[in-house]
Amino acid sequence: MLGGLRTWLAGFLGDYLATVLLGAVLIMTFLAFNVLFLVWLERKVSGHIQRRVGPMEVGPHGTLQTVADMVKLLGKQLLTPVATDRVVYLLAPLLVFLPTLCVASLIPLAGTEAFADQPYGLLVVVALSGLTVLSIFMAGWASNNKFAVLGGMRSVAQVIAYEIPILLSALAVVLVAQTTNLRHLVEAQHNTVWYVVLQPVAAVLYLIGITAETNRAPFDIPEAESELVGGFHTEYSGMRFAMFFFAEYTNMLVLGALGATLFFGGWLGPWLPGPVWLLLKAYAIIFVMMWMRWTYPRLRFDQLMTFAWKLLIPVALLNLIVTAVLVHGLG
Amino acid sequence: MPSLRRFWTGLWSLVVGLKVTGGHLLRRRVTIYYPHETPDVSKWGGPIELVTFPETGTHDCIACNACVRVCPSDCITVEGKRPEGSKKMRATVFVLDFSTCSLCGLCVDVCPTDTLRYSTRYDEATYTRDATVNDLLGPFGEDPSFRGTPQ
Repeated sequence: MLGGLRTWLAGFLGDYLATVLLGAVLIMTFLAFNVLFLVWLERKVSGHIQRRVGPMEVGPHGTLQTVADMVKLLGKQLLTPVATDRVVYLLAPLLVFLPTLCVASLIPLAGTEAFADQPYGLLVVVALSGLTVLSIFMAGWASNNKFAVLGGMRSVAQVIAYEIPILLSALAVVLVAQTTNLRHLVEAQHNTVWYVVLQPVAAVLYLIGITAETNRAPFDIPEAESELVGGFHTEYSGMRFAMFFFAEYTNMLVLGALGATLFFGGWLGPWLPGPVWLLLKAYAIIFVMMWMRWTYPRLRFDQLMTFAWKLLIPVALLNLIVTAVLVHGLG
Repeated sequence: MPSLRRFWTGLWSLVVGLKVTGGHLLRRRVTIYYPHETPDVSKWGGPIELVTFPETGTHDCIACNACVRVCPSDCITVEGKRPEGSKKMRATVFVLDFSTCSLCGLCVDVCPTDTLRYSTRYDEATYTRDATVNDLLGPFGEDPSFRGTPQ
């Protein structure tokens, strides 16, 4: 059916544009449903950790609660404060989603299927996922609100700090696999073992790093409610606010899927088709992130920075050096 | 190496934290899913009611007014008269204004025939003040010509 749709579109758009359009629409649709599911899952997990039930009323076990919430947000008034930098203010919620979408197209789903198979896939992913913070800072700056600016600045400082351990831990995996192509990375794990066995320290560092990168608790100081009202999205309402929400949960899935690709063998697994395995592994990583959110208290800003620069980065560097020596020594 | 020790104990504490929350995740919930499940209210002391004694099939209020006198909030009104051929008085009016009741239970303690007790009703929220006035004789449905009209 997809092939037929593609040939029909290619008739008046050209082959290249038809592929791009179809891929974008497919990914967007899936990600939208994924966000609805993840928000529901987050509320359920938090509920059960606190020995509550979570949403139960709308649909069986509250599965349609997030749909109802989305409809509510769609109906809300969009407020634009007078003193905002209008263009940037309106652009930020649209752009925040874009890097994540690009990254999503790079994750290999199975054997030969990725929307974009790049020889330097991992580098492109890391480069693109660093862009999300620009939109967050745009939102904070353009809102012309002290809380929003503070939230945006905190986010920049945090993401810059925590991207280094992510990169270093990914680099350790690259040293083992000798490739930056994400598809080849998974194939290398097919031939040996999952890299979580060879690189447990890198896996833990990666998990901590992506928790910080997605601005989630205990690293959610850019939107720390007790200090900054809503942080960078204080001045956003309705669907514009929902876009930031959307981007956060999409980012979680994409970074979770990347983690599954790097450390847990991507699409590899028996019986089920590859994309299902990839999703299951990504959701498992996301579940751990949710679990962490309801376990640890929020860090103070200086603690956050100390944790990154004095602990994570030295450990990641040490891990990288040890890996390099071992890889070189063992040939 | 005290800093290294601190590092390990700190790391271990994170694992312990995850173990605690993970354990709670798997255990039974403690909240009651209220409108669909009702809690155990057998020990709850709600607004007072008249006891139905199984021997007589009705209450045993003799309109002695002990509860009216002892009530600190003045929220009970009792009237009675003597049925023909009987030695004892019998209540014709027993009204509780629950809006001023503090549920102190003095009326329950003082009742000489033990016909007053706490009910187990807990959903007493109403939209009007009038709706908080309970006619305690209502459920007994005695001969309306015998009963007076509540004030």
